[in-house]
Amino acid sequence: MGKVPPSLRSAIATTLMKKQSSSLIPKESTTTTPPHNPQHFPRKPTTRKTKSHDSPQTQTQIQTLFKSPNLSDAKKLFNSIISTNPKFPLDLRFHNSLLQSYSSISTVQDSISLLNHMIKSHPSFSPDRSTFHILLSQSCKAPDPSLSSVHQALNLMLNHGFAPDKVTADIAIRSLCLSGRVDQAVELVKEFSSKHSVPDTYTYNFIIKHLCKARSLSLIDDFIEEMRDNFDLKPDLVTYTILIDNVCNMKNLREATRLVKVLKKEGFKPDCFVYNTIMKGYCMLSNGSEAIGVYNEMKEEGVEPDLVTYNTLIFGLSKSGRVKEAKKILRVMTEKGHFPDTVTYTSLMNGLCREGDALGALALLEEMEVRGCSPNSCTYSTLLHGLCKARLLEKAKELYGVMKAGDMKLETAAYATFVRALCREGRIAEAYEVFDYAVESKSLTDVAAYSTLESTLKWVKKAKEQGNII
Amino acid sequence: MLPQHMKKAITDNPKKLANLIDLVNLPSTLREFVGQSQISRLGCFMRVWSYIKTNNLQDPKNKNLVNCDEKLRSILLGKHQVELAELPSLIKLHFPKEPK
Repeated sequence: MGKVPPSLRSAIATTLMKKQSSSLIPKESTTTTPPHNPQHFPRKPTTRKTKSHDSPQTQTQIQTLFKSPNLSDAKKLFNSIISTNPKFPLDLRFHNSLLQSYSSISTVQDSISLLNHMIKSHPSFSPDRSTFHILLSQSCKAPDPSLSSVHQALNLMLNHGFAPDKVTADIAIRSLCLSGRVDQAVELVKEFSSKHSVPDTYTYNFIIKHLCKARSLSLIDDFIEEMRDNFDLKPDLVTYTILIDNVCNMKNLREATRLVKVLKKEGFKPDCFVYNTIMKGYCMLSNGSEAIGVYNEMKEEGVEPDLVTYNTLIFGLSKSGRVKEAKKILRVMTEKGHFPDTVTYTSLMNGLCREGDALGALALLEEMEVRGCSPNSCTYSTLLHGLCKARLLEKAKELYGVMKAGDMKLETAAYATFVRALCREGRIAEAYEVFDYAVESKSLTDVAAYSTLESTLKWVKKAKEQGNII
Repeated sequence: MLPQHMKKAITDNPKKLANLIDLVNLPSTLREFVGQSQISRLGCFMRVWSYIKTNNLQDPKNKNLVNCDEKLRSILLGKHQVELAELPSLIKLHFPKEPK
């Protein structure tokens, strides 16, 4: 326990970078995130790159075409497709998807050669911006410590008469950041800003988000200052939310409070997302009073709390042992027309288990199912943990059976507690069985699962020797 | 809470982790059992545990006990019966700490 449910932790990630983080977050959280404020988070059609140009049908056909990164093979294949398949529409899309497919397995040099070959053998084909964007994104992904291949792709583009624009910048920066080359991305942003066009706020926020992940605060501050002074690119409310989220994750609430003051001074009004982020920061520190303080401030400022706000608050209160107040918030949110979801109930169960009221938590499980809210593995893990702590091993076994039947993963803490409870009762074989399940279901790594088992057995032996366990 | 401490101790202590997953040159007795010349302590444990499971060596009356067959006896100090609980420590005997 004590872990932040994924949907809370990623409140920011889901709202700012849906595309990227969707795979990391369980389904529930994406559905629970409230409809995003359109003012801040419009989907950006341009970032979808050229992939979306292909009709799904041709793409699947083509994707399996190139099997070897060898250039001459690829050329041969291209020629044979052209001559034998008159059915293919020989337009830009077709060429792009071919190039896209080849670029996913080849080097930048070879892709460029293939493009040249296409142009030569097919004079009617004229590459457009999207064609070069394919090459660009490939060059950004290449494991190259310098930006030379990126420059090569950009120069090729310029030579064909396409000046890099905001979309180009966005594609390059995103690809660089996603391949972990943040420093090069920073370099490229500055270069783009001075040579071509200043990147837009989406690109800017994306790079800030990635800087937050890997770099120090002072470096981020320097970058923001430089962009503001040299290119007049100012941080917006989303940027501040990212920054606040970052310092909150580092438990630096003082800096978060300072940032809120800064953003107010810059003329922004904190919105629901900013408040949610700060509240999450306090909740992670188990500081329930401050979380309630944020909630009250929201009400004073006239910002309407959303589902995430309530979930965060209930989570924080439960975590700091104030379940009664958490239950009160549950009532308030239902009155306001929000439907409590899995996260809400799991947080409350966490609180009840902390108080030692595991049976109360179990009753809550029934209640949530009656209300049509289905528990997930986090819910079950929380309960399992609570039942073991409350020494209700039989109930825990029963629950474990349900989890196993549903192929649910065990969380680390729940696994460890359960194994410990079994070993303490001398049910070693059952503990081994749980170990097997944890490894099989890939709940934990082999190493983590085994170390827990090994140290638990050691601990039990020691306790027996000292006469603590009979 | 202990579990989280333990987890932290593992991730914070690369030496402990290495001790668990590094491949080690095996002594001849163990080499015969696992059928290869190198294995990690974790791999060895998994091998022995799955051997016990596939050959149904757990005592039917008390699952916490393992009735060793000839092959298993050769690597577990020649004991006829071992407790499941002491399995990790018995296997550890084959993986002595390297002198510094």
